[in-house]
Amino acid sequence: MELCDLSAHELSLLLRQRRVSAVEVLESCLQRISQVDGRPGSLEPGAPQPEDAERVHAFITLTAERARAQAETVDRRLAAGEPVGLLAGIPFTVKDIFCVKGTPSTAGSRILANFVAPYTATPVARLEAAGALMLGKVNLDEFTYGSSNESSAFRPTPRNPWKLDRVPGGSSGGSTASVAAGEAPLSLGTDTAGSIRQPAAFCGVVGVKPTYGRVSRYGLIAFGSSLDCPGPIARNVVDAALMLQVIAGPDPHDSTAANLPVPDYLAALEEGVRGLRIGLSPDYFRITFPDAVRGEYDQQPIPGEIEAAVRRAADILADLGAEIVENVPMPNTRYGIPAYFVISRVEAASNLHRYDGVKYGYRTPQPVQDLHEMYRKTRNEGFGLQPKLRILMGMYVSAAQYSAQYYQRALRVRTLIRRDFEQAFDPQGKYRLHALLTPTTPTTAFPVGAVYGDSVLMQYADQLTVPANHAGIPGISIPAGLDHEGLPIGIQFLGPDFSEALLLRIARAFERATEEASWRRARPEVLQRLVA
Amino acid sequence: MTDYEAIIGLETHIQLNTQTKIFCACKADSWYDPPNTNICPVCTGLPGVLPVLNRAAVEKAALLALAMHAEINEVSYFDRKNYFYPDLPKGYQISQYDRPLASGGYMEVPMPATPERPAYVRRVNIIKLHIEEDAGKTKNVNGRRWIDFNRCGVPLVEMVTGPDLRSADEAAQYLIRLRQLLRWLGISEADMEKGHLRCDANVSIRPKGATYFNPKTEIKNVNSIENVRDAIQHEIERQIREVEAGHAIEAWTLEWDEDAGVLRKMRSKETEADYRYFKEPDLLPLRIDAAWKAAILAQRVELPLERRQRFIEAYGLPEYDAEILTGERALSDYFEQAVQAYGGDPKKVSNYLMNDILRMLNESGKSAAELRLTPAYLAEILKLADAGTINTSTAKALLQRVEESGRSPREIVEAEGLAKVSDAEAIRAVCHEVITENPNEVATYRKGKVTLIAWFVGQVMKKMRGKADPTLARQILEELLKGE
Repeated sequence: MELCDLSAHELSLLLRQRRVSAVEVLESCLQRISQVDGRPGSLEPGAPQPEDAERVHAFITLTAERARAQAETVDRRLAAGEPVGLLAGIPFTVKDIFCVKGTPSTAGSRILANFVAPYTATPVARLEAAGALMLGKVNLDEFTYGSSNESSAFRPTPRNPWKLDRVPGGSSGGSTASVAAGEAPLSLGTDTAGSIRQPAAFCGVVGVKPTYGRVSRYGLIAFGSSLDCPGPIARNVVDAALMLQVIAGPDPHDSTAANLPVPDYLAALEEGVRGLRIGLSPDYFRITFPDAVRGEYDQQPIPGEIEAAVRRAADILADLGAEIVENVPMPNTRYGIPAYFVISRVEAASNLHRYDGVKYGYRTPQPVQDLHEMYRKTRNEGFGLQPKLRILMGMYVSAAQYSAQYYQRALRVRTLIRRDFEQAFDPQGKYRLHALLTPTTPTTAFPVGAVYGDSVLMQYADQLTVPANHAGIPGISIPAGLDHEGLPIGIQFLGPDFSEALLLRIARAFERATEEASWRRARPEVLQRLVA
Repeated sequence: MTDYEAIIGLETHIQLNTQTKIFCACKADSWYDPPNTNICPVCTGLPGVLPVLNRAAVEKAALLALAMHAEINEVSYFDRKNYFYPDLPKGYQISQYDRPLASGGYMEVPMPATPERPAYVRRVNIIKLHIEEDAGKTKNVNGRRWIDFNRCGVPLVEMVTGPDLRSADEAAQYLIRLRQLLRWLGISEADMEKGHLRCDANVSIRPKGATYFNPKTEIKNVNSIENVRDAIQHEIERQIREVEAGHAIEAWTLEWDEDAGVLRKMRSKETEADYRYFKEPDLLPLRIDAAWKAAILAQRVELPLERRQRFIEAYGLPEYDAEILTGERALSDYFEQAVQAYGGDPKKVSNYLMNDILRMLNESGKSAAELRLTPAYLAEILKLADAGTINTSTAKALLQRVEESGRSPREIVEAEGLAKVSDAEAIRAVCHEVITENPNEVATYRKGKVTLIAWFVGQVMKKMRGKADPTLARQILEELLKGE
């Protein structure tokens, strides 16, 4: 066990007791990165190299010097007995969808590869202000469009530390891979349809999608502006709570950030689940998808071992005193993906308009006759497949003659999905749930290259996570076991608006109850090799 | 020959005079600043930025809506208007679409009498009034495009009239009244030359009495009220010529070439562009709750046409005076304060304003509120003249003296001995001097040219630096000139 394998709150204690220095913590992380990460993602990776398949490839940009300067400042303050922030000396990585002053902020796209941000995103600024050390920017699906990290323009793309021929999930795959591999105890991700929770489940770590507006979006390069949520990724629930404590809160730069005080997420963390009502829904034990040829919905149960993990978790919580409520209907879950297809793409197409080669980022080097040719060539060469698909669909469904049929209708569906949750959580209602317990994903991590290219199938990887984004409610994914291949299985708790403290508390109760479980002792493949 | 009438609607863009831009803290007015100096990540559309609404822009727009008798909507929304243009850095303009700040409304435009017809009032309906952000400026120089982002994010109100105007003169009067109103409300500098007030005109014609609409043309890029009038007049005449020649009017977009005084075709209007409007997810719905609305209503002021009417009724001013005095809010405030301080005939105050004070304002470029000759000082001068302490010419001279020195009129009169001299002996002595010094004129007078008396009075006044009681001087002079 190295320093870099310790959790943020353990490191924090050692730092405050002055048993380790921030520089030592940093060096430990940097050493781990040099051991497991391999070459960073780049636009011109050249031919694949044999060791590429053996490495994690979480990083696009390593900012070791920036982190070292921050670590030295923390050590000086600690030595002088001066007060330090909540995360003083704790390294973190940042999904490269956030602008950080002076760093390339690429969104995983060729079109922003040369863009160096002149300002810092609010959540990153808050982490740094709390003394955390920014290690670097990690890879993601291009503009966050994907669930596997394979769409990034920066290659090699990240691999799953648990099994290197598997994807880490996405779009915050670089973030979850870096945390799972011990490169950093914390990472800042974003979740638009499950982009924190799905890769957290795939990589066996904790991921929190806060209530929409709980964490400022200022500096987050937008995908679906009404759905995007920055959130913490950590190796355990306490660390996730610590990180959320730092990044949450109102922001004068984001008018959609909630103007509500931030509760103390740590205060009630250990209070257990006695008396809480936790629901299970049959609509989360299957995926439902349209058959394009027949125009009808098909259903498929999720794998038995994933359902079993959820039921096992329910039993454990019941043993701890929670009341498990079965058969909570969430009938509109099946429309989550189709509605998301429409809403997110309308917003995405508009959000991508600014990448036009005029002001910053990529501009075609080819000669052009006029402005429109410059636009066309720049965007054709600068965007990868996923942004192009989203622009095409977004433009189509927001066109004046189709908008009512698609966009306006999708917005109504969104309201219905929100209503499912309101009914489940209504304190005067039939179910009176404090939280809903569901699988995070319909599968465990799939093989690299197996699903990519089939954009519809890839989307259904988000079916169990996207309803929370539609509804704006918070969700947390935590590890709950391993499948027959030894791949992590994630379970998800969903709660009403601003119930993060309660969700963290439930997750923490499960985490404590399973501390001694055998699956907790399993280590990712990449770390096992290190020991060997 | 058919008699035609013109159908005109105006689309105006009004730049609000807020300190900062509508969605960021950059300085809004860049008229005197070099390009790209009042910019930030937000108004240049960098990745990841978000807009934050400037409440002052909402309040100013709401004041305009109230002045237009429009309904302020309790909830309105911002929308994205998507299109590509290099000076539109986000690739969309944040505007309002189907749920704007205000609905309905109208403006009454008084049309002054002409030799051909009496005065009348034209009511113009407002069919659209919403808030939006301005785009930047593009300049083409030697085949290169130069972009200035300073103007990006400057708050605008877009206000569109119904097809209610019937002549180029009515269109010009509408703009004159709108400009007056905007300045009066203090919400825009409303200077067309500086682009604070921009106007596009939609023009069509039809036989008088018809109720249908013919295809219209749109005139763009006109930068003064005079030019709007000229351009519309030219276009009406062109359309009549075309129709008389049996040609159809096509829905062109035209541009006014000010130097040549002609309209040029910019483009044929193809199908309407699809801007793919959708609600701006980065801003909350704009809610004007009861408290905010009350605060806005509290800022409401009497409007120029209301005040003009009140001046006529309450002070008995002629329409001509009332019109001029209410041309500007500061001037009308000045008038009213002076009337109150004076307590005498308001018309007397009006006369001073219309003749002397307006000239003073024109020469100095000051507004009435900036004069050192305050309404109270003007009233004091009027009272001194009424009381016979000073004569009229001293009164007029005092206006300038007070303005230059900032001292009170009474102080100046006392310090410089400007009070009227009514001492017959003092005047008689000066009259003697004048007669002795000007034997030729005395001879001429005595030969019968009695009108020369005014010249003699003038000489006396000159010697006494205007202080003499002119009536007394005349009596004494006549007596002395006759007596020998």
